[in-house]
Amino acid sequence: MVLTDEIKDFIQALIKAKKNLHLYPENNPVYIKTLDDIYSRLTSVLQETDSITLRFKQYDILYDTDVVYHNEEKDESFALFFFKDGVRELTFKKGIPKEEFEEFMQVISSDFERDLVDDDIVTLMWEKDFQFISYVVDDTILVEDENYEDEATEQAKSGAAEDDEVMKAYEEAFGIEKSEGINIVPLTNEDLKSIVEEIENDQPEKSGKLISILFEMLYLADGKAEYEEISEFLKQTVRYAVQNGNLEAVIYCIRRINDAFDKESFSQDLRIYLRGIKYYINSIGFVKKLGEVLDEGVEFTQDIISEFASLLDKSSIPHFISILGDLKNISARKTVISILSELGKKDIQLLARGLNDRRWYVVRNIIYILRQIGDRSAVEFLLRAVRHSDKRVKKEAIRALGEMGDVTAVQTLKDCLDDEDEGVRMATVRAIGYLQTPVSRKILLEQINNKQFKEKSFTEKKEFFEAISRYRDTEVINTLFKILKKRAFFKRAKNEEMKAAAAYALGLMKEKSAVDLLEKLKSSKNRLLRENVQIALKRIRDGKE
Amino acid sequence: MEKSESVQGKDIINQLAVVLRTGHFHTPDNVAVLSAIKRFLELINPVILQDGMLRIDLIGEFFYINENRVRYPLEFLLNFDYLIREFKRRELGSLTFVSQVRQEDMREFLRIFINAAFSTTPFEAMEAALEEIDSIRVERLKHIKEERDVDKRRLVKKTYFNAVSFTRGIMQKLRAGEKVSIKKAKRVIESMVDTLLSEESLLIGMTAIKDYDEYTYHHSVNVSILSIAIGQKIGLHRRALTELGLVALFHDLGKMEIPVEVLNKPTAFTEDEWKLIRRHPYWGARAILKLKGLDKTSILSAIVAFEHHVHYDYTGYPKVRRPLPLDFYSKIVAIADQYDAMTSSRVYSRVPLPPDRALSVMMERAGTQIDPILFKFFVNMVGVYPVGSLVLLDTRELGLVYECNPLFADRPRVMIIVDASGKRLEKGNVVDLTEKDSSGRYLRSIVKTLDPNKYKISLAEYLL
Ligand SMILES: [Fe+2]
Ligand SMILES: [Fe+2]
Repeated sequence: MVLTDEIKDFIQALIKAKKNLHLYPENNPVYIKTLDDIYSRLTSVLQETDSITLRFKQYDILYDTDVVYHNEEKDESFALFFFKDGVRELTFKKGIPKEEFEEFMQVISSDFERDLVDDDIVTLMWEKDFQFISYVVDDTILVEDENYEDEATEQAKSGAAEDDEVMKAYEEAFGIEKSEGINIVPLTNEDLKSIVEEIENDQPEKSGKLISILFEMLYLADGKAEYEEISEFLKQTVRYAVQNGNLEAVIYCIRRINDAFDKESFSQDLRIYLRGIKYYINSIGFVKKLGEVLDEGVEFTQDIISEFASLLDKSSIPHFISILGDLKNISARKTVISILSELGKKDIQLLARGLNDRRWYVVRNIIYILRQIGDRSAVEFLLRAVRHSDKRVKKEAIRALGEMGDVTAVQTLKDCLDDEDEGVRMATVRAIGYLQTPVSRKILLEQINNKQFKEKSFTEKKEFFEAISRYRDTEVINTLFKILKKRAFFKRAKNEEMKAAAAYALGLMKEKSAVDLLEKLKSSKNRLLRENVQIALKRIRDGKE
Repeated sequence: MEKSESVQGKDIINQLAVVLRTGHFHTPDNVAVLSAIKRFLELINPVILQDGMLRIDLIGEFFYINENRVRYPLEFLLNFDYLIREFKRRELGSLTFVSQVRQEDMREFLRIFINAAFSTTPFEAMEAALEEIDSIRVERLKHIKEERDVDKRRLVKKTYFNAVSFTRGIMQKLRAGEKVSIKKAKRVIESMVDTLLSEESLLIGMTAIKDYDEYTYHHSVNVSILSIAIGQKIGLHRRALTELGLVALFHDLGKMEIPVEVLNKPTAFTEDEWKLIRRHPYWGARAILKLKGLDKTSILSAIVAFEHHVHYDYTGYPKVRRPLPLDFYSKIVAIADQYDAMTSSRVYSRVPLPPDRALSVMMERAGTQIDPILFKFFVNMVGVYPVGSLVLLDTRELGLVYECNPLFADRPRVMIIVDASGKRLEKGNVVDLTEKDSSGRYLRSIVKTLDPNKYKISLAEYLL
């Protein structure tokens, strides 16, 4: 009786545990605690008896002859949950390891409601091949036709030989030739090895193979209706493939379609359907699916990504831009950026439309992509992006303009030197320096020589001097020397900053003629100046070798 | 814990085989023998310490250690087979270690075990010699009782016909455009896998019964059973076996599209009818893909349905323009399919071949139409004289092969239907061709095979 009560409690705990394990992932503390608790409950019941056998009725669970559970609610009944799939008895044996019990718990807490699940509880338990849990199943739910066995048996027997035919066989047997059975070659270790290898190499994800078969089926298909059906299968398969992280299969499919157009003769009808499949792969629906997969953390190699992107149609550019803003996972966004960096080449203008996206980070990504592609036709769009209200976007655009090196950018960049944001201004200086044109040199010198210049922060100053250091001509060197020699009575600290930055630039230029001048400053009381002079001297000397 | 225990089981059996094998080739003092024994003792003594003893039973084709069946992986297959053969040769059914075993005990046991093979009464010889070793006991191999046989056969029969009837249901539902439950199909296959694992020969025996209902129904089930049997022979995991069984069951789904009048036509097909027949792989793949959404099983089923007649060398149908390597499962199903089709009547209006003839035809195709290595596994499974073969014995008895013996490919169990004096036996007596007389000679051997179809002699009468 005590045991019966314990089992009642155990079942209640089991039901609660089933819910918890369904809700929480394996590493969650709730999951772990739930499992620990229910396992120790079970082992404590099994202390008192070697095994517990639960019997299932439609709405009841029985232990021995006692009802230990009753619930008639169809959706909730734990009894019905087992009963409906044919489970009639379930036994836990003493000594059950936690791992096995956990597997059992995972089985009963799996999601049986989902449409695509082909496994009922018996199948799942069967697959686990438990050692300490056994069950009795009533297979009559599987029987289609109770009389079949008798009917088939009768039918099979009815054709049986008459006695005289058997005797005829017996008599004739002595007259026929002696027969050699086939020669059975025993299995060798090589046979085993080659089979093991084949099993190991068998890829579980077979969408690629199915696609190749669907193409064969297209050759065999007869008429529009069949073309349509098979091309629908192809669409489903590429979708399935991408869902399962098999982008190679999608690549294979596009290649097959391209080949069909290039090399093979197909009817006009079939071409329409093939185009439809390609259209699907380039559609927003498919691209979104890919996005979901990426967001789940699936990653692809760079090679696969570039190959895939190179096979896409430019019409998918806007779709990729659209998902770019929705992705949460950083590496997913990186992947889409790398797709667009390849795909975008096919239509810079279409890609540049992404610059109008209302999400600043998307705009910034597009600029980055344009910069990666490096096509100068993007400059006109970038010039507009420079006027974007978000300074992060601005900076990216300025950088891109600098790297893509186009004189037409100079004027716009120059305007940016007056931007209220220091970061923007610094990016501009860098970009102008990058351009390496006479105009940019002129702009930089003008700025440095401007009276207001020394009011800038040291970092910004340094940026200018670094930029100007790329032009190693007399005028530049003289300007720098002049700064190093200049004495100031007011705003002395700002003046020292100028000197420090100029020294830094001469170091970058490895300008030997500056050594004397720098030597004089190397023990300056101003730490900033002193340190920068020392760095410069070291650079110049190291540069000698 | 569960896992480590089963690992130990298979290791113990394997190591025992290693000890006996090295013992056969070397003297008992040889280093290789000694180290094999040492390793064996390291495996068993801790178990004996914990459980009080260690008992190895051979029941049917399986080893049990302390009553738990030992599962064996592919890498040990040859050693397991070897050990089963050596046990059977000595009529040894169980070996029990009752206390800690010392190195010299095991060496002595090895000597006794090897010598017993030369005795005409090997078990008795071994039993007597072992009196002196306290820690080791042996028991004679039990021949499975006829009584239990009847029960088992009833169960196997039930599983088999239930599967056929289920398949018929599926096909009829599909023809009518109704939904079918894959869940149930899986359960049916699982019960076949279970039956195959415990009663392999009996279940394979059922596939020899052909003449009832529509061919496609039992053919589908037969191909499923034979495929699972190949799969189990090559060491597939039980989940993979279910998958294989399921795709094999659906391999001819495309035949639903062929009018029944054509399928069951008693005369030869016309060229147009052949065209229809050759289209069934295409229709099969289509039907499966229409059946349900894509998943691992439906994809695999569609692939196998499409490929099962393509042939290993691509000489079959449908002709493929860009061949990719055939799927592993397609190659298995193709072998099972060819064998069952060839041995069945009422198929493509061909005359059915006797099982042993079908095998030799397939043997010629190994390496061209069918995968040679998988075929090797297949013949090792069904034996030289597969179930249903009609054979004349050197004792002037006529019989039907009733159960194959995986270890002696040419020595199956045979049901005698005409005895040595030429008397017709109604209720056949089953004999085992591995039985020997006191001088060690086989009591019976097969000398000739006949065509059972020619005389309408079928196992059905005896098996059912
Ligand atoms: Fe077929
Ligand atoms: Fe077939």
